[in-house]
Amino acid sequence: MRPSAEMILPPRVAWQGGGMGKIAAHARRGPGDAAPPTRCLATGDAPRARACAVTRAHLSSGVAMEPPQEGAAAASRSELAEPEPKLDPESHREPDPGADDGPGSELDPGADAGPGAEPGSNRERQQRIAARRSRVDVRRREAVGEEVEKEEEKEEEEEERKSLKVIEETGKVLAKLLFHGTQLLTNVQVEADLRESRRREKEGEEKRRRMKKLEMEAKHSMEKLAEINSKWALAGDLKIPQELWELLQQQQDQCEQLLAEKNQMIRELQQELEAKDSQYEQALKEQADEIRVLLERMEEQTRNMLRTHRHHIRQIEKTFEEERQEMLENNRKRWNEAIQAHNEQELQFLREQMDKALEFEKQLNELQDESVENYDSMKFQLEQDVQYLEKKLRQMKGLYHLNQVKLEYNLDVLRQLDVENSTLRSLQKRKINRFRTSLSLLRTKMANQEKKFQEEKQSLDSELERIMGKFQETQSRMRDLARSSAEKFRQVWIVNEEEAKALIREALDADRIIHVQQLGMPWEEPHFWFMDNVGPLGGRREKRDAMQVATALLEGIQSGKREQGGRRSKKKGSGSGEGRKENQERAEERDTSRPEVSRETLRNILELLSEEAEFLVENKLLRPLREVVGPRNSVRQLRAILETLRIEDEDELRKLLEFFLYYGYQEVTDSQDTAGENSMGTAQERGNGRSQFQRDEFQSPESSIPTRSIIKDDVLKILKEFLRDFAKLRDEGTPREIQEVRDNSKDGEYWEALTRIIPERTLKLWDALGAALLEYHKVLTRRSELFSEAITLQQQNSELGILLEEYLGSENGR
Amino acid sequence: MQQPVACDKSRAIPSPCPLEANLTDVSFHTRRCITEDPSWSLVTVPHLTELCLQHIAHNFQKNPILNCLLPEDQKKVVNMLSTSLPLTVTANIVSHEDYWKRCCKERWQVCDVSNYGDSWKRMFFERHLENILKFFIPNTTDPKQVLELIPLCKGYVRKLEIDQFLPPLRVDQKEESNDLSDTEDDSELGEIYMHHYNLKDLIPALPHLEELHLTYGVKSCGMNFEWSLFNFTDLDCSNLAAAVKMCRNLKVFKLTRSKVDDDKIKLLARNLQYHPCLLELDLSHNLIGDHGAQSLGKLISHSRLEALNLCNNQICHLGAQALAQGLAESSTLTSLNLRLNFMEDKGGEAIGCALLTNTSLKSLHLGSNNLSEPTAAVFSQVLAQNTTLRSINFSCNHLGLDGGKKLLEGLANNKTLTELDLRYAEVEQETCFLIHDIVWTNRELVRQGSLHHPNSEYL
Repeated sequence: MRPSAEMILPPRVAWQGGGMGKIAAHARRGPGDAAPPTRCLATGDAPRARACAVTRAHLSSGVAMEPPQEGAAAASRSELAEPEPKLDPESHREPDPGADDGPGSELDPGADAGPGAEPGSNRERQQRIAARRSRVDVRRREAVGEEVEKEEEKEEEEEERKSLKVIEETGKVLAKLLFHGTQLLTNVQVEADLRESRRREKEGEEKRRRMKKLEMEAKHSMEKLAEINSKWALAGDLKIPQELWELLQQQQDQCEQLLAEKNQMIRELQQELEAKDSQYEQALKEQADEIRVLLERMEEQTRNMLRTHRHHIRQIEKTFEEERQEMLENNRKRWNEAIQAHNEQELQFLREQMDKALEFEKQLNELQDESVENYDSMKFQLEQDVQYLEKKLRQMKGLYHLNQVKLEYNLDVLRQLDVENSTLRSLQKRKINRFRTSLSLLRTKMANQEKKFQEEKQSLDSELERIMGKFQETQSRMRDLARSSAEKFRQVWIVNEEEAKALIREALDADRIIHVQQLGMPWEEPHFWFMDNVGPLGGRREKRDAMQVATALLEGIQSGKREQGGRRSKKKGSGSGEGRKENQERAEERDTSRPEVSRETLRNILELLSEEAEFLVENKLLRPLREVVGPRNSVRQLRAILETLRIEDEDELRKLLEFFLYYGYQEVTDSQDTAGENSMGTAQERGNGRSQFQRDEFQSPESSIPTRSIIKDDVLKILKEFLRDFAKLRDEGTPREIQEVRDNSKDGEYWEALTRIIPERTLKLWDALGAALLEYHKVLTRRSELFSEAITLQQQNSELGILLEEYLGSENGR
Repeated sequence: MQQPVACDKSRAIPSPCPLEANLTDVSFHTRRCITEDPSWSLVTVPHLTELCLQHIAHNFQKNPILNCLLPEDQKKVVNMLSTSLPLTVTANIVSHEDYWKRCCKERWQVCDVSNYGDSWKRMFFERHLENILKFFIPNTTDPKQVLELIPLCKGYVRKLEIDQFLPPLRVDQKEESNDLSDTEDDSELGEIYMHHYNLKDLIPALPHLEELHLTYGVKSCGMNFEWSLFNFTDLDCSNLAAAVKMCRNLKVFKLTRSKVDDDKIKLLARNLQYHPCLLELDLSHNLIGDHGAQSLGKLISHSRLEALNLCNNQICHLGAQALAQGLAESSTLTSLNLRLNFMEDKGGEAIGCALLTNTSLKSLHLGSNNLSEPTAAVFSQVLAQNTTLRSINFSCNHLGLDGGKKLLEGLANNKTLTELDLRYAEVEQETCFLIHDIVWTNRELVRQGSLHHPNSEYL
């Protein structure tokens, strides 16, 4: 502490020496400048020094208080160490001796350490006491489990509460004491602060006053100086030396006056400075006093704290001692009681044991007697048994010998058997080896076989494939054959039919001639159904090529404008003959006869298709198409498209067109639908509609379809939809050709009908006529014969006449 | 046991002369049979290992062998080493506390090792370095003296407490010249020659430095007092600021009694902003004014400071308002000391308003600040709302009777405040007593809480 007090004020020491002169120097500089340095000195340095002193003292008090804390800590450490070895239940009942020793040991180092303890150490100690108590409690609870002792524990707890109360009270008292002590110490600092702040206030006021005064003075002196200066101007005007001298004198006086005033001012300031110096010294002294007071108080407080701590520790110790005494007494009492009870019990046990020993002795004697008798009888019996058993033993030995001989013999036999077995086994082994080799051979064979079979299978597979190919080929050939035979059949039919019809016509002509010429009756041509028929029967008209239909469609409409094209198409389409032409005409009629769909719409659709689905045309085809740019362009294009779509049949084409129409219709209805209908609903409807369309394909949609409604953009979509369904349709439709076996039941009838073109009645007529005509013929032939006879007779006659004449003439001439 | 001995032997062979001489000497004396002497025995002959160890200790300066010895032998050697060995040899080799304890005790009378983290070695190096810096005279002392020490002590120095910096020596002429010219020279030439030791070289080279206490002044100058001895120049300040900025582990920085004014504190505060570790800043007994306080207010909100001491400065209400703003924004500051300033009511009110929202400050010292009733009114509100404040000091202010009553009102429901100093605050004695009662009960509560808490934990 002392050194710190010394160190506090280096400036102070300096101040006392060199400081004075320097301040004087500052002051001498001028009245204006004099004030700030003094102020700086007085306000800046002195308070700081003072404050330093205070703070240092404050700090050093803190430092001084540390050692006792350490001492206390050390003491409490020893205190902690001591209660450790108390583990046996005896010492559990007296936790106090530890506490007793603790403070006791704490006392000495505390005394050695000197100044009193901190509140922290006090608190720590209390905490440690509480902790130790709880630890002791726990240990006791662990060791002792009996109820009796629990009650005692309660008592103990009560007692301990007493000591706890004491400790708490002392804690409070010590805290209060410490607080007051620190208050007392800090009072010094606070007082110094107060003085400093008051001094600062005063200093501020004084400074303000001084500044005002200095300003006033400066103003005043400036005025005077100005006055003096103005008089110098007058000096130039004065010509008389006396007057000038007077003026100079006056000026000098005034200057001196001014200087005197200034000096007065400086003196005042210096006086103030000195006063301040003395004040500063006084302040220093005061501070020194304060520091001394501080030190005294600190020492006082440490002493005080130490004393109270010691006092309280003693008190606590005393209470602990009392408690310990009480507890000791209690425990001793209990111990005595327990010992007495124990002794009594032991005596009782002893007596009981004696009684029992006597009883057992008696029992032992009785038992001995009984056992001796038992022993004798047992011995006799056992001896008898031994004799009997010896006899048996001898018998058994004989038997044993016999058995041994037998067994040896058996052993020999078995050995021989064994030898045989071994030979057999070697034989078997050899056999096994042989089998194994054969097995491996067989295996290789089997593998070979398998390989062979595999190859065979492969060849068979390839053959199967080939046969399948062939089969398909034959099938296709068969289809071709069927088609060609059908064609041939048709041609033969047609030829026959034509022949028949020619015959019929002949017959009819004959009939007509007969009627008209022979009978002179009017003849009207009979009308028969079969006369109109061309080609084989069966009601199935031949399917035209889709392309033909398409061209027909296209041409049919164009034909109006361009006769030539139409004719050419007709030539081409029905190049084979008239029948075809008729057929086509009829087909066209049928097409047009479909009431609702105008040809115009169909043509539109086809044109649309050819425009939109141009990409479907193969490149190979495109080039020639470009070359032959002409009116037929669209037709060829269409053909290519249809080929790519694999639409060959007329029906298929029609389906396609109807699909288009249907779609168009849908679109229209959709557009016609108001917002009320849900789009989902329409989609469903469309789905339904499609299925419906599949079911009754030939129910064509309404006539009022505006062809324009099929928007170009939809064409692709429609085509996709169509192709999806179309594939299914075709799959179903493929076996149609084969299935269709011609129904030739009506052929006979047909041909029969052809023969019966002349009715029975006419035939009869003809027969009658024939007969009559034969008669007539006969008559006529007779007549002609007669005629010829007549002629010949006439001729003979004439010849005879001539001969006669000649004869006559020759007779005559002789 | 054998290996090091063998090694020692091999090392001992090149210079066996003293050893052998010693041996023969001993043998000559011990071989004599002194029958009358009952205490004579062969045990007194020292072991070879001990002889080797002695040799090592003697030649430690030339050939320091320590780390390859067994721990017991190391102890022996260290005990034999003399404390006058140069630090270059011992600093990084010897880590035994005993040796350094001897060094310290020999060098200084008062040694309190608890202030140095119970490490004698740290104590030795810190005090050694402090000594060198304290008596370092710029331009005359060789700076190598410090620079050479850096590699030796950089691993051990954690705290530097330097309470004096010597100014450079003057030319003799000036000392002879009279006082008048002296003062004039001071103002003219002083600035150039008055720079102190530049810490920029030293401090960044100490990686473990955590505490730095500096006072730019001269101690016990006696009759040689001059104002110029106590001059913390701008260059010093900028050097110090740069050095502190470089020191990333610094936790406590104290710059007291050094005439730190506004410009210098601005520079320092700018360099301390966003410092990663700085927790405590002590700037007491300086000349910090409002502008300096403003920069400090910014520093509070932009750093992790926990304690700020601005005792005995010249902070008026503007500075206090700036500090209050910083306080309202920051959440780390726990202790603020503004004793002996010129805050007055405006400043006090500002700080009180800041405390309405702040939840970190625990201790506040506003003693001797010319505060009066309005401040007390604001603080009564603070006491009613704030639950973190533990201690407030209003001593030596003019709170007045009404102010005391208001504080009492505010304190009525407060359970956390354990200290409220109202000495010389012109408060009525009765209110003072009531306030003391409340504060005392609060303190009792805290004490019991701390007493019961560990107990319950233990059970």
